[in-house]
Parts: sequence; structure tokens; C-alpha cells
Amino acid sequence: MERRNFIKTAILGGIAGAVQLKNNDLFAGEKMSVSASNDLVAVMGGEPAEMYKKGIAAMGGISKYVKKGQKVVVKPNIGWDKRPEFAANTNPELIGEIVKDCFAAGAAEVIVFDHTCDEWQSCYKNSGIEAAAKAAGAKLGFAHDEKYYKSVPLPMGVRLKEVKIHESIIDCDVWINVPVLKNHGGARMTIAMKNYMGIVWDRRFWHSNDLQQCIADCATYPKMPVLNIVDAYRIMTQNGPKGKSIEDVQNPKALFFSADIVAVDTAAVRFFNQFREMKLEEVSHIGIAEKMKLGTTDIDKLKVERIKIG
Amino acid sequence: MNYKILKWVRVAVSLIFIIGITSAFIFFVNRESNFFSQFLKIQFVPSLLGIFSGGAAVFVILIVLTLLFGRVYCSTLCPLGTFQDTSTRVSNLFKSKKNRRFSYDKPKNWIRYTILSVTAIFFIGGVTAPIAWLDPYSNWGRVSNEIISRTEQLIHNALANIFPEAIFFRSYAHFAVGSFIFALLFIAAVIIFSSLRGRLYCNTVCPVGTLLGLFSKISLYKPAIDHSKCNKCRLCVLNCKSQCIDLDSESVDESRCVSCLNCMQVCKRGAISYQISWRKRVVEQSDRKEPVSNERRKALIAMGLVGTALAAKAINFKPLLSSKPKITGIAPPGAVSIDHLKRNCTACYACVSACPNNIIQPATTEYGLDGVLLPVLSFKHHFCGYECNMCTTVCPNDALKPMSVEDKQLSQIGEAQFFLEKCIVYTDGTDCGACDEHCPTKAITMVPYGDGSLYIPSLNVDLCIGCGGCEYICPAVPEKSMVIYAKTIHGVALKPTEDKQEKVKVDNFGF
Repeated sequence: MERRNFIKTAILGGIAGAVQLKNNDLFAGEKMSVSASNDLVAVMGGEPAEMYKKGIAAMGGISKYVKKGQKVVVKPNIGWDKRPEFAANTNPELIGEIVKDCFAAGAAEVIVFDHTCDEWQSCYKNSGIEAAAKAAGAKLGFAHDEKYYKSVPLPMGVRLKEVKIHESIIDCDVWINVPVLKNHGGARMTIAMKNYMGIVWDRRFWHSNDLQQCIADCATYPKMPVLNIVDAYRIMTQNGPKGKSIEDVQNPKALFFSADIVAVDTAAVRFFNQFREMKLEEVSHIGIAEKMKLGTTDIDKLKVERIKIG
Repeated sequence: MNYKILKWVRVAVSLIFIIGITSAFIFFVNRESNFFSQFLKIQFVPSLLGIFSGGAAVFVILIVLTLLFGRVYCSTLCPLGTFQDTSTRVSNLFKSKKNRRFSYDKPKNWIRYTILSVTAIFFIGGVTAPIAWLDPYSNWGRVSNEIISRTEQLIHNALANIFPEAIFFRSYAHFAVGSFIFALLFIAAVIIFSSLRGRLYCNTVCPVGTLLGLFSKISLYKPAIDHSKCNKCRLCVLNCKSQCIDLDSESVDESRCVSCLNCMQVCKRGAISYQISWRKRVVEQSDRKEPVSNERRKALIAMGLVGTALAAKAINFKPLLSSKPKITGIAPPGAVSIDHLKRNCTACYACVSACPNNIIQPATTEYGLDGVLLPVLSFKHHFCGYECNMCTTVCPNDALKPMSVEDKQLSQIGEAQFFLEKCIVYTDGTDCGACDEHCPTKAITMVPYGDGSLYIPSLNVDLCIGCGGCEYICPAVPEKSMVIYAKTIHGVALKPTEDKQEKVKVDNFGF
């Protein structure tokens, strides 16, 4: 039995590896064409939809990331049964706008989902994301049961060698990672990399096996998001990630865009630092991820465009 | 009086009630509104238990109805009654015409009055367990939850497999074997009783039936046989599922009659009909064997029982017979205390079915022997939703008192305890904070630990409401580092602080 399982895993792993290699080549090709424009775009001072439009334009337009006929996943943070003004979840207006834009670029379908912490239907509903995503034409993905997740190997993972990832991420052509910027009692900050906790089934394993390392490990999953958009329209600066009251929220009205997940997290931490002291080293999964060559924290060397509205 | 129309009205109302009540236990219909839960409140035992908190009107109506027309409740409002009639009808399809016929049967007084007395004594003594096991509504609730709702879930999940994008899968959270078997055995027994002997359960076992039977002995209108019209064709007897029409003495045992109107509907000569009871007495006087006063005596006993029960409830009797084990069960919000739950809950599982997080389940030994089957929380698969007060709104018995979301957010059903030496931060020296992440009131906060690069949970129990988020998510194995202990009397937590912070305006991105 043991041997049979081993062989099965080995074969499946091999197939998965081969498939993902192919995907990677695909992305590598795309990234080349993107590289002419900005590496990182920061927008401030507008409403979510308006900031998104300016930001995505500076990133070269959505059609650089989403091609005609592709299956797209937009992955917000919908972790909690909280209304948008509590900043516990990604801004619904932003999600609606991204979905609309994906369809404008010719996406065949757009799925929006998150593995929520609170009861999933209340989270989808009260976050406002269900309504916004549906209005824009997206499907809401179910992610509340283990049955919706499939095991994939993470050959580059240090502590996390295998992880159950949501089927819509595995099946999609491209995915866009849209976290909200919040402080976090355990991981210090929750931004783009930490948002991967919503695409996996077993989060307890991460918490009990060096959380910071596992966050970085999961980001080695070969199918990386083509784009990370950090929602800092409202940010939670204390009592995160769930928050207690509206007092935990600041309203800086900003968005950050980058295909480099480490860079976008770095930018977001440095932005957050203006509201509440937060050293980049403290958010150690970012440093670990850089060491694992997932991106760069040296954002001053990147081509950055800063846009201020109003 | 056209009894044919009246009978069909009764059938229609009874169908509305059984469907309405059963719907309250079905996931889909009770998810968005608690419209169907209102049906649960129009039941005898719930209205009796909830008499001092909104049940009084229904209780009075049910009693008055019985005093007017006999056991209308049993054949019109009681879901188990309607189920038994259905079961009788279905079983008739498999019987020869001859075997479908009922015949008169003597009342099993010794059994039914013993059961009623024992139930009443326990109830007056503050123990609801016997009522919980025998009450027809509560049993129907358990059957709805354990069998009908589970079947619905299986069908739902089969559909979810066929249409994976449109229909979501409903996780199989927990399965309480004992409670399932109880419901299964109960419904099996009732099916056997009803397919062989009609309303045998109602007239032998059911304490509600027996009690209402005592009241119906003095009801204003009673079914009576008119000698002058009756030709003893036995059509009424053959159709009497209560087996209470005795043509030899030309009398109807009104204590067992469930006012189903079948006899009056089938009688071709109009010989059996509702009569004002003093007129009936005149009609039957010649055949009467027992003294008139006996009926009144029984009715007085019934009123005495109800009166004592109400008095006991009013002065809030503590349970007389209460095993005092270490209570480990966490009672749902609104339960006030485990004593209150035991005094008022009949384990109908309205709350079990309504909980969107599936964390309410039937107890085994968590509350001690007198609390078997009562609803208890388990944080194994989820935790109590901070924004949710569903269970407190559906309880028909007042066992869970209605609570606003704001009140529920302060209601301490349990209290967390932190075991440092089990905590991942302590054992592994790595970040975790899963408990802090889930804590809605910030009873748990993360404080600097060790050389300052780590943070560890710090617990303020005054803010803890026992929602179980921390226990559920705690990754420590095999024993959790955060454990919720039951509060036998629910408390009120301190209001979470607002943590005011200065609103910062920034002009730069910080990089």
C-alpha cells in the first residue's frame, strides 16, 4: 500500500510539475512584454474604482494580464462577517471594478472566492463582495469544504511541502490577488502573500509549523498571481485581522499594484508604517520570501509610478 | 353543520402545520428568515413552557379550544398526529379492505395515567426529561432534524455533485449517533403503532394527549350518538382511528377522541355529531354506567396538574432530581443557565437545525443524565458567530431566551482558559496568533514575548464570551492551548473597549 501510494504521488506530482512548468513558460513570456512599463504602481486619493482605473492603466492595462477567453480568478480577502467600513475584507467596489475590467479584456469567466474564517455565506454577503462581484458578472466560488481543494506539491517549500489549494486556482488560466491591508496579531501584517491563506484548506498546519515560513512557502506555488492589487482604501491599523470597531480603521484611500508579490508587500508595509510603526523585518515572511527569490524588497530600484488624485 | 367540509378544513390546516413545522428544520427554508419557526410556537408543550414569555396566548387558546371541542390540537395542530394519520393511510394501501377497519378498544387507563403522572411529577419538580422524550412536537422536531433534514442534505449534496457551480456542498459537520437512533426508534415505533392501531401512541403514551383528554371530558361540545338515527352500521367505528366509539353502549370516549371528524363525515344518517354536552348527557343518560361527577373529577385533576405545573414554573423551582456531575457542556446563548435549560428545553432541535455554523448538537453526558439530548455547543468544526443570534430567535420554549445581537455579543456562555505550555509560540518559538485572529472581543491580545521578536496570547476573561473561535482554530495538538469551559450560569462580559486612535492624514506613500 505504502509503495503504491508513493508511486501514485510521484506520478501525479510529475504530471502536475510538467503542467505547471508549461504554465510558467507562458507567464515568463507575458512578463517580458509587461516589463516595458512600471514594476510597481501606487495610487492615492480617489475612490476605489477611479484609483483602480488609473493604476491599471499605469501598469499597462488589464489586457497585459488577462487574455481573451481565459478563465480568471479574482481572489479578495473575505475572511470575516464584517461590513466594508470595518476594513476587515477587501473593498467590494474595487472587486466589482476588477471583475468588470477582466471581462472587458475578454475573460471567458471570472470566479471570486475566499476560504473564509467566519461562516462563509455571511462573509460573502455582508462584505458586499457577493453583490458587487455578481453585478459585474463574476461567479462566486464555494470554498467552505475540503472537497473544493486539491493537494499540490510545493517542491520549493521549506516547511510546507504539500498544500491543498482551491480547485478554481488550480483550474484557472490566471489569477489576480486582491488583499486588503491590515495589521495582524500573528503574522504582524496581512497583505498579498498572507492572502494565500484563503486559497488553502488547512491553515492550522501553517500556524503550527512556523507561520512566517509557511506563508513564504505557499507563495512558491508555481502558478503565481499575474497581478497583486493591495486595497488600502480603508486599512485596519489595530486589532487586526478581524477588528473590533470602526475605530480600528484608517481611511488613506490608496491602492498598490505589482506583479512582484514581495515588492507589493514591501510597499504596503512602508505605507502602513506611516500610520503605525511597522518595521519590514518584523513582517518576516517578506524577508524569507525575498531569500527564496520570490521577489524583491528593494523597491527603490524598481520602476515605480506614484499617482495622486485630487 | 356540514362535517364533510369541516373535516377537509381540518385536514388542510393539519397539512399546513406539519409542513410549516417541518420546514423550520430544513436548512434551506430557515436560512434566510425564521418565518417557519413561528409555527413551532403554536404547539402545546412549547406554549406551556414559554407561558411567562409570550406563550400564554397560544396556551390559553389551546386550552379553550379543548374545552370547546375536545382534542382539536391532536388532529389539527400536532405534527406527530398528522404524521400518524398519514402513516395509517399509507399502511392501508398494503392492507386488505377488511384489515383496514378499526374496531372499538378499551382505554389503557392505567398506562396512560401513570405516564402522565410521572411526567407531570418530574415536570413540576423541574425536570423536563420525560416530557422531552414523550412530547409529540419535540419528537417530531428530532425526527425532522435527524431524519428528514439529513435526507434533504443528502439530496442537496447529490445535486451539488451534479451542478457543482450552482449548488454548494453542505459539509457533514457532526453526527450524533445516539440522538439519531433515538429519533429513528421513536418514529419506527410510531409508524408501527399507527399502521396497526391508529392513534394508539396518542391515547396510551402521549402525555399531552392524555392531559388534553382529561380536559375534553368537560368540553362544551362533544361527539354524541343519536339513538333515534343510528342503525348500528358501524361505519363510524370502522373509521375511528382512536378506537373510541363503543356502539354497544352507544358512547364515545371523548378523552381519547381526537376530534378528527371522520365518524361524522362517514355517517350516512347524521347519527353522530357534535352536541352541547348537557344535551348529550340527556341523550345518553339511560346508558350511563359511571356517575356524572367522575368526569368532572378527572378534569379537575387535569386542571390541578396544569395549575401546579404553572405555579412551580412561576416560583422557579430548582430541579429536585438533578444529578450533579461536573458540567462540561456549554449551553447555547440565551439559555440563561444550565438549570434554566434543563427546566425548559424539550430537545426539539429547532436551534440545532437553525445554527448556521452547525455547532449546536445533542448532548450525551455533557450536562449529566438529566440533560441527555439537550442542545450543547461543540467547537470542533466551527465556533459561535459573533454577528449571529439565530438560535435564540427560533426557540419556541423560551429555553433559549430571545436575545438581540448586541446582547448576545456580551453574553458569556463559557470562558476561555489559556494553557501556556501547549501554545505554539511557547513550544515552537514561532509566530502563531490564530486565537487572537479569531477573537471578536479582543479578550485575547498578542503581547511581546521572549527576546521581543515574538508575540504570545494574553487573555482577559472579563471580555471573553466563550464563542469558541480560539479553541476551534488553535493548532496545538493533541491538546489545545485555548479551551472554553462552560459557565453553568451565563454571565455578562465587559463591553469591548473602543481603542480610539488618531486619524492620520498622509501625503506620501512612505517609499
